Amino acid sequence: MWVTNAKVVAIVLGTLALYTLIANKIPQVQSEVPQTLTLGANVTSEQLVAAGEKVFNGIGGCTTCHGLGTRAPNLLTDEQGTGPIGARCGKREAGKSCKQYLYESLDNPTAYIVSGYQPIMPVMTRQLSPEQIWAVIAYLESQGGIVDVTGSDIPAAAAAPAASTAPGGGAAGGGGGLAGGSTDPKAIIQAAGCLACHKLDGQGQVIAPDLTHVGSRRDAESIRKKILDPTSSIAPGYEKLAGIMPKTFGAMMNASQLEALAQYLAAHK
Amino acid sequence: MTDGFVLLQAAADTTRAYGEFPLIGARAAVWIAAEVHLMFAAFVLGVPMFAVVAEAIGIFGGDARYDRLAKEFTRLLLVAYSATAIWGAVLVFFLATLYPRFWAYLTAVFGPSMWAYAALFFLESFTLYLYYYGWDRWKHARAKWAHWGLGLLLNVWGTIVMFIANSWLTYMMTPPRDITPATDPATIKLWHAIANATWMPINVHRLIANVVFGGAIVAAYASYRFLASRTDEERAHYDWMGYVGNFIAISALIVLPFAGYWLGREIYQYDQSMGITMMGGFMSWLWVIQAFLIAVLFLTGNYYLWVGMERIPGAERFRPYTKYLLLVLVLGAIVWGTPHTMIADSKELAAMGGSHHPFLGALGVMSAKNTAVNLMILTTFLSFLLYRRANTRPVVPWAKTGTQIQAAMFAIAATIVLFYGIRGYFVDAIVRIGFSVYQVLAVLSCIVFVTVIDILLGRGARSLGAIQWGRMPARSQYALFVLAVTFTWLMGLMGFARSGVRQYWHVWQVVQDTSKYAATPALGYASKMISLCVLIFLSLVAFVFWLGGLAEKSTFVAPGGREGVGGAKRVGH
Repeated sequence: MWVTNAKVVAIVLGTLALYTLIANKIPQVQSEVPQTLTLGANVTSEQLVAAGEKVFNGIGGCTTCHGLGTRAPNLLTDEQGTGPIGARCGKREAGKSCKQYLYESLDNPTAYIVSGYQPIMPVMTRQLSPEQIWAVIAYLESQGGIVDVTGSDIPAAAAAPAASTAPGGGAAGGGGGLAGGSTDPKAIIQAAGCLACHKLDGQGQVIAPDLTHVGSRRDAESIRKKILDPTSSIAPGYEKLAGIMPKTFGAMMNASQLEALAQYLAAHK
Repeated sequence: MTDGFVLLQAAADTTRAYGEFPLIGARAAVWIAAEVHLMFAAFVLGVPMFAVVAEAIGIFGGDARYDRLAKEFTRLLLVAYSATAIWGAVLVFFLATLYPRFWAYLTAVFGPSMWAYAALFFLESFTLYLYYYGWDRWKHARAKWAHWGLGLLLNVWGTIVMFIANSWLTYMMTPPRDITPATDPATIKLWHAIANATWMPINVHRLIANVVFGGAIVAAYASYRFLASRTDEERAHYDWMGYVGNFIAISALIVLPFAGYWLGREIYQYDQSMGITMMGGFMSWLWVIQAFLIAVLFLTGNYYLWVGMERIPGAERFRPYTKYLLLVLVLGAIVWGTPHTMIADSKELAAMGGSHHPFLGALGVMSAKNTAVNLMILTTFLSFLLYRRANTRPVVPWAKTGTQIQAAMFAIAATIVLFYGIRGYFVDAIVRIGFSVYQVLAVLSCIVFVTVIDILLGRGARSLGAIQWGRMPARSQYALFVLAVTFTWLMGLMGFARSGVRQYWHVWQVVQDTSKYAATPALGYASKMISLCVLIFLSLVAFVFWLGGLAEKSTFVAPGGREGVGGAKRVGH
């Protein structure tokens, strides 16, 4: 019987080992968490192209369809004899520069469907931050064309309404901040769950200090500091609760949100 | 004061988003708990389905073998049930301590359904106890029908329990589109969250998959008992049990891909980028591994049937055809496993000389793959048909015509599959997708009509000799182990695909995973986790079955006994 048992164990372990081995022999692709891309006004073309290549091959998910030639036009090598995308983007639409064409294709993919392809591309300006979008455009221009994206393009894009949602703009934060990056203080308060402990305008719990008149005891600077470092000052009577408030809210909000929230609460006199 | 302290403690706990688990980390801990729980759950949900069917066959057909088989299935169920509950508790504790903020979110949305889940679990448990312990007490006349009703009720409870749990995980994958990160979870209507886009496709897919899985595990159990048998009667019984378990597993497996297509379509319709990530994005290599596993299942399943024909008098006349069936299966497996839409960068594309391999690229598209898998299904069905007819010779006057009609149906189905497979290369993708429906319908129609004709042909058929149950070489039983391991591993792999497609989101585009484990691992790491989970599951299954066997006396009657397998003299299957 021991021989039978040994054979059964060997077959089970052998089968598992075979499947594990095969799965480890194929190319290993990990899905990374998108990182916030920060590009200053003085960013160089090379930096933009390098950043764009990372987005294109990574978080952008562009290679899933582009470059394969069946789902979407090949952007990197050649598309039906017209060359890579940088060489042809300026000729696609009369009166539109390569840069304009590429931005509009990312912002409104159904506007310029290449003949023979289905309208399956998602709106990339909803999936990527303005920095990422312009970096990708620079990278695509570099594929056989001239890179004319500069740092000055990025703030212009940031002002566009559709470009406000960056990846990571979920409930728990990331590059875009809480509540999808909204600067509406009420949305931030709701997304951050402040009212789980604090009371404000008659709503919420009384575990932590009531914020209804917080502006009468703290100014905006003090509130900002308190959010970023909750242990920096403790309201009288709440000393035993020191350390309960999470220290992560500052990291979960972008600067505009933090400022909007601080000003909103400071106005609650 | 105490209440206040508890409240404050709760507030302190919910502010912590993630916990840590020693050595293996939080993600691995939850992964193991969830997957092993799911494997046990699939087993305890799948087995009652065919236990109740087997009992019904015993009642209607008057064949006591089936009743005993159903009882033995249920005995396995009983011991596996507590393991399911234990792993479920481990999973909940891990979620509550390692992912407290996310767990709080889920409970805020699904709280009432969790209470219902617990209540139904009680009902299911006690129904199971009644069903098993009442087996011998309620075995005659009306009491037997009432007992069978308990079996049905057990399935009803189990199915509802599964549907409830499925709503939680499908919500994580496809939350209704009006729910945003700013939505307060407490304001989300329960039914709105439950009836999300992938809930019903997952329900159906899991129902079928549970039957496949349960069948495979039962077959593996039977094969072990076969190998450990000391008498011919035992060997005959467990040979037959292994055959039934394998038959159920393979039969349900044939329809499983269609439920998978439905699920895939819903994912694409919900969010195209999610579908693309799953099929062509970072998970694209996963489907090559899946194709390899399916190939193993088809080849091993057919091998078991072919070896099984050695114990059937008259089967030797079909043996020459086996090599052709093997050829079709191998070619089909090669085509199905051909990579196509892989993530590639510009350097890799340049190295490949284009977007696809000049020759293999043509075989990697869905037209070729759908054709391959449909022909593999037809081939497997043909194997089963030959097995079924091995020891009989039809005597009805229209026997020759009937057989010719069956052959024609096979030919027509194969032609339709090939026609649409080739035509798919010359039409747009949107048209090509529709062709798969015609191919599937052709294969299913063939299976249904050929089976009906075969049943009619078999009426009064002359026997060429009894099946020699128990006279199976040991290698056939080891094949059943390979099938069980492969089914279990495949289940783990598909679970990784379903869960991993959310990538760095706990709830897709609503609650982000901000832990240090937010990145979705590559297939290599996932495969190690899957293998570990399969090993834990199979080790525990072996242990609980051994435990169950300790308390049970043999279910066999003496040779020649009225309820015995009759010294392996039966003709039928």
